[in-house]
Amino acid sequence: MDSRRCGFRTATIAFFLVGLWIWIPFPSAKENLGLLGIAPEKVADYIYAVLEADRSIYTTQIVNRMQERGIVWAAEHWEQNNALPLPAQFLQHSGRLVAESGRGIRYRLIGLFPIYQRNAPATEFERKALIQLQRQPDRAVAGIVSSGKKQYFQAIYSDRAVSSACITCHNSHPLSPKQDFKLNDVMGGIAITIPLE
Amino acid sequence: MTENSTSSPPGTRWGLKTKVILSMLLVGLVPLVIGLGMAFWQGSQEIHEVSGESFEALATEAARKLDLLLAEEIAHTARIANDPMLIRELEHRRDGRGDAKKPNTTPSDLERRWMARDWTAIKSIMENPFSALLHEYFTGVHSAPGQLLPRVVRSSTKMLFLTDLQGTLVATMTEHPAFRHNEARWWREAFHKAVGRLYIEDVRFDDQVNAYVFTISLPVMDSLRYEVVGVLHRVIDAKDFFSPSTQVTRFGKTGHVMLIDSNGIVVSCPILPTGVPLSDPALIPLVTPQHPGWVQASSDGHGGQDTSVIGFAPLPETGRAANGSLGNGSWHTFVWQSSDELFAPIQHLFTGVSVFGAVAVVLLASLGYIAAGRIVTPVRQLQQAAQAIGRGELRTPIQINTGDELEDLADEFNRMNGQLKAAFAGLTDQVKLKTQEVQVLQQSTDQILDAVPTPILLIDAHDVVRYINQAARESFKVQEPMTGASLFTILPFDPAVQKRLQTEFHTNGNPSLIIDTIAHEAAPRDPLAPSVGHESAGPRAELHIASRIYQYQWFRLPARPGEEDSIGLVLRDTTDESRLQDQLVQAEKIGSLSVLTAGIGHELNNPLFGIIGLGEVIQDEQDLEHIKSCARDIVAHGRRMATIIRDFTGVTNREAFDKQVSAYLEQILDQALSTAQTTVEMKDIVIHKTYACNTPVLVFPDQLRQALVNLVTNAVQAMHGTGTLTLTTHVSDHIVTMTIADTGPGISKQHLTKIFDPFFTTKGQGEGSGLGLTVARRIIRKFGGDLRIESDEGRGTACIVTLPTNSPMSPEGGPWTADAADSEPQPSHSS
Repeated sequence: MDSRRCGFRTATIAFFLVGLWIWIPFPSAKENLGLLGIAPEKVADYIYAVLEADRSIYTTQIVNRMQERGIVWAAEHWEQNNALPLPAQFLQHSGRLVAESGRGIRYRLIGLFPIYQRNAPATEFERKALIQLQRQPDRAVAGIVSSGKKQYFQAIYSDRAVSSACITCHNSHPLSPKQDFKLNDVMGGIAITIPLE
Repeated sequence: MTENSTSSPPGTRWGLKTKVILSMLLVGLVPLVIGLGMAFWQGSQEIHEVSGESFEALATEAARKLDLLLAEEIAHTARIANDPMLIRELEHRRDGRGDAKKPNTTPSDLERRWMARDWTAIKSIMENPFSALLHEYFTGVHSAPGQLLPRVVRSSTKMLFLTDLQGTLVATMTEHPAFRHNEARWWREAFHKAVGRLYIEDVRFDDQVNAYVFTISLPVMDSLRYEVVGVLHRVIDAKDFFSPSTQVTRFGKTGHVMLIDSNGIVVSCPILPTGVPLSDPALIPLVTPQHPGWVQASSDGHGGQDTSVIGFAPLPETGRAANGSLGNGSWHTFVWQSSDELFAPIQHLFTGVSVFGAVAVVLLASLGYIAAGRIVTPVRQLQQAAQAIGRGELRTPIQINTGDELEDLADEFNRMNGQLKAAFAGLTDQVKLKTQEVQVLQQSTDQILDAVPTPILLIDAHDVVRYINQAARESFKVQEPMTGASLFTILPFDPAVQKRLQTEFHTNGNPSLIIDTIAHEAAPRDPLAPSVGHESAGPRAELHIASRIYQYQWFRLPARPGEEDSIGLVLRDTTDESRLQDQLVQAEKIGSLSVLTAGIGHELNNPLFGIIGLGEVIQDEQDLEHIKSCARDIVAHGRRMATIIRDFTGVTNREAFDKQVSAYLEQILDQALSTAQTTVEMKDIVIHKTYACNTPVLVFPDQLRQALVNLVTNAVQAMHGTGTLTLTTHVSDHIVTMTIADTGPGISKQHLTKIFDPFFTTKGQGEGSGLGLTVARRIIRKFGGDLRIESDEGRGTACIVTLPTNSPMSPEGGPWTADAADSEPQPSHSS
């Protein structure tokens, strides 16, 4: 069971990675295209679309169906409890895998009311972007940010409570600072960071 | 009732009591033992259960507490890692180094000096602003109010230092750390491909701080949280860190919480030192599952081998945060209490149960003793009463007032005693009456027996005389006290007679067989004695005692049950009777002789006087013819006399030595008829003959002819000259029956019984000797036949002769001829 799930997970991630890789310009293409390139906003948009699609598929077609049929549930401590990762965790873990791949692109979920502080906005830009997304969820906030001498393009997309699993967890978790989320509320954002080299 | 049962042995008396006590003990003890055992077992189980569950709860609680403790510590450390100043410095160092992917492996000057423990180098790092910042964080300057690091936590932190993204030391609180750490596992795990993650290192012994430590490594992310720019490393003394949390949780004398890792190494324990493994490796898999629980193990992990109840729980958050550094598992709390202490309640329960059991046994035994006494005493009373009733000695009624069945039983005993008394009284009267009757009977029997003139003795199976009557006492001169004497001391016989009597005595007093043999040998028969009537009866047994003759007879007396039969001996004094009979016989003989003499005289006198007269005539007679005539008469008279004499003697000399010869009976009968015709007048007699041809018989023909002549003569004489003589022979089954029947007046019944007696005759004096029939029967019997007379008074008499036939005719014998008879003198007269 575990191995099957593990395989499934791997397959999902692989699928995602392949999707991601397609949108990354091939080195040969880059050479051919010369200085044309693709605007980072576009890249972020593409990535966001893939992320959203993957997570939607995972949420609606896997977690919801499994739970409806009573086969397996999604839980925070899914590794210990033989459960499915929560959709948010799905995104977080895939983001970690992407980061570990060393290709530079990073994305993560951030929120103004995170259960764990590590998911709080790391910079003022992120914080303001989240605030702005509360007001205008449909419009992503993008900008150039720097760490030391390094510059990165960062785009932050609003993230809604797409499933009841999201609000159930956030509204009941003891560490959650806000417990009145409703379905389709903007709970935070997906921050996509692309190094500018 | 016998003496034995009257004084019943103590064992029997105590038996019932012991049984009752034992029964009560058993009845009480068995459920008691079962109940107490069940209670003990149940108690033990419950103590196990309760202890196990509370230990599990305690372990879970302790695990949560330690988890939180560790999480808090990590959070504190994370706060340092989030310090913007540190991040800026580290970003700066990153940017300054250029390509982070090519770490500078050549040792710098500072590194060499740090390694050489150069004071200035140490000072330059330990006193730089970042080290100071670490100090400030550690001492709580930057902490929010209420979030100061606890003192114990502070004291337990043995090292706290910061490295940049190349693993070189940036800041440290102590001088212990090495300068370069990029090869250390914790560093690589925390750096984690620049993604960074929390890493907790399992307990190990650290030489530099000389203690068992665990470490927390946190990546320092850049300001965008994009990548790792450094690693914050903290070395914590495990014992110092966890002890305050685990030590406080103590219960009882030995109950405590300890923390172990998934390899069974003790992280913190109030008893065991940190770093040692559990004493029993088999225990480790039992107590390190990924869920809380409790187990009943065969050892306690602290060196004891007693059965222990152990509660355990993992630290889940720590396990998750450790990122695989703690093996596959986590750290686990382990709650344990010494068996002795844990099971002390069970021991107390057991002691209590034992004491209670002992008390119950004593109580049951006492109660049993009392109850048995209450039951047994009336029972014994009843037993004694029953014995008294048995002896007929119960005078006073039984007094038992138990108010239960025993009292009823006593009442029944009393009633039974009354009924028995009444019944016994009636029985005694009857016995008295019967005894008197028996005595009267005995007296009368004795008197009867004494009155009998015949001696009677009663003898038992051992020849001992049991009774002797008056007649016997007088006859045998026996003194009064004679019982117990042997028969032969009273009647002294010679040994032969004694032996004979004993034999008779032991053949059930039946003397007949013995007597028969003896009697036949003795006493030749008197020919004149009447023997026909006595031959079948046989002689009577006789005894000669002191010149007296006794006939005796045995008779059997039935014995009383259990004794042997006794034999009675009846003696009859036949001395006088025998003498009288002898005299009578003698007189009869004399009488017979005189009759014989008179008959012979008479028979012979007639011819004799004729001869005398003829002789006298001859003396004076001259005429020769007359003389010759007289002489012929004399000869005739002589012959007649010879015939008479022959009749008397009955046999001829010739036949005495001749053998019997086979002859035809019919021929002999015809010859006898011819002979008879010479002596008696038969002119008017009609003779009928019905013969069954020639029947051979084995006889002396002369004798048989003589006998038949007598019979024919008798028949003819009976008819007085006129009548019918019927002669018949008939053969059947080897027997020839010859009948000579006349039509005379017959024989009266009174004479019929005597006709075979010698000298009995109905004829006149000189006509018959009274011997004819006697002689005839003797002759016929000699040949194996018989003669009997049947007479119908007034109608005639029949002589019936039976003889055995001689079927195969003997060749040399031949038919009997008349020549033989011719030589004999012709009988002139037949009786």
